[in-house]
Amino acid sequence: MNPLADTPDHPDRVVSVRGLRKSYGGRVVVDDLDLDVSAGEVVGLIGANGAGKTTTVECLQGLRHADAGTVRVLGLDPIRDGAKLRPQIGSQLQSSGLPDRLRVAEAVELFSGRRARDADALLERFGLAQRRKYAFGTMSGGERQRLFLVLALLNQPRLVILDELTQGLDPTARREVWKAVAQLRDAGTTVLLVTHELDEAEALCERVVAMRGGRVLDSGTPAQLVARHARGATVGFGLPAGRAHESLDALRGLPGVTDVSRAGDQVTVHGEREVIAHTGAWLVSRGRIPHDLRVDVPDLETALLTLLDQPVEQSPTQIGAA
Amino acid sequence: MTTETVARPAALTAAVPSDGPAVARARRHRSATRRLVVSELRLLGRDPVTLTFVLVFPIVCMLIIGGSFGTTPDAEFPVNPSHWYVASYFTVVIGATGLIMLPVHIASYRERGVLRRFAASAFPRWSFALAQLVIGLVAIAIAGVLLLAVAAPVYGVPDVEQPLRVAAGMLAGSVAFISLGVLLGTLLPSARAAQAVGLLLFFPSFLLGAGGPPPAVMSPALRSIAEYLPLTVATDAIREPWLGIGDATGQLVAIAVIAVLATALAARRTSL
Repeated sequence: MNPLADTPDHPDRVVSVRGLRKSYGGRVVVDDLDLDVSAGEVVGLIGANGAGKTTTVECLQGLRHADAGTVRVLGLDPIRDGAKLRPQIGSQLQSSGLPDRLRVAEAVELFSGRRARDADALLERFGLAQRRKYAFGTMSGGERQRLFLVLALLNQPRLVILDELTQGLDPTARREVWKAVAQLRDAGTTVLLVTHELDEAEALCERVVAMRGGRVLDSGTPAQLVARHARGATVGFGLPAGRAHESLDALRGLPGVTDVSRAGDQVTVHGEREVIAHTGAWLVSRGRIPHDLRVDVPDLETALLTLLDQPVEQSPTQIGAA
Repeated sequence: MTTETVARPAALTAAVPSDGPAVARARRHRSATRRLVVSELRLLGRDPVTLTFVLVFPIVCMLIIGGSFGTTPDAEFPVNPSHWYVASYFTVVIGATGLIMLPVHIASYRERGVLRRFAASAFPRWSFALAQLVIGLVAIAIAGVLLLAVAAPVYGVPDVEQPLRVAAGMLAGSVAFISLGVLLGTLLPSARAAQAVGLLLFFPSFLLGAGGPPPAVMSPALRSIAEYLPLTVATDAIREPWLGIGDATGQLVAIAVIAVLATALAARRTSL
């Protein structure tokens, strides 16, 4: 249980949302949403397109007025106290840009507030030191994303909001950005990450909040969500013909096995997580050490897909329970 | 689950706010509004639309039209026709800035999410509106001075008969059209739409209200339409006291009222 769950005004609470509701032209995008983020946490908002993730963070940033509910960020109302709040938030926004003719160094100068850190070190860190004179319009998608990250971190924010952080980045740049977020986490900065890249959420977030239709489906650590919603595992290996029939019967009798299938000489054992150990032990006990052994354990993506397949009424709505 | 152990580099250890260096930096730090104004001015100089439409177009048209009716007053022109057009074309600069340059600029910012980025950053609420007012006034001032500098050796610049009224007309007209331009930019969905609508508004205003044929040769219907165009009102408020052919008090008051209303609406639409 989150120790801060019932204390929305607790000083360690960076984000506190209660009953947030937002509609566009009669279409409800965020519906009675509760969300808490504590100081130093890295929290991921995950879900399919249209789940209401971006609208939620736009309400936190003061870019949109909530139709109903209470939103507090660092104890401040994002609309009423916007001038006080915005210098304390670093935002990397989805679908936003800079003027095409603005150069990298000029962008850094433009967004450098009173608390701005050494921009050169940041540019160096994100591989933009040699791009200072480049105009924004001439930069690749990955370079632009890295520049947005530099701008988001520039003023030493207390809360960093990253919306679709690694969109358009190549794998190397993506890993570099992940490292930077891990460093932020280690430095104690609170990060709210909006993503539908679930490997990203799994790698970076201490807690994830799964959303659908503007509501929270479930929240917890990535491991907790996987454990709750994708408990199965499969083990596959080659089994020579001959006594295969006997072997399949034996495998079906192992604890936790729900199904055993065979295609050619390939056998696949399905079941709970424990089938991994039992199948391994069974193979070793018979002196069969297959060189093509494969183990598939569900990840956060499988857990989310399972969650999204659930009927709406079965979805828990409590957040911060993890 | 992927776990990465990363040593904390010096560049990012400052993620936790620390007051000492920040206080030192604050002493030499420029305000957000000032940074935005400087950045917008810098970008203005790199914008080909501005260079073409605000600086070059009025000069080229003034050179052509200003020389088409000679230099002797007649039934159509109460004063030297070339001087009439030199005084009129200052308003063409104002119109080009307000109806073409700024709507395209602002709509392009909205389309690309630049305004969202400003809104999510620590810029004061009215800083963007102020920056647009400044860049509009600077564009008009530079283009106006260039226009007169080109006109001087060719047609001569007419004496300003009522300097205060002319200055008031220029200021009110400039603010009115800058604000109308900003307003248009916040209402139109894309830079292309802004360009199309801007051109559609600019050319009739330009031909009927500033740089086209004199009102005396227009049909009564066209003259009636021209009379109520905001650019005509601004032109009259500047040209009449400049050339000493009238006070244009009504037009000055009208353009000032437009300026106040449009500025209020534009500021509201661009508040961050």
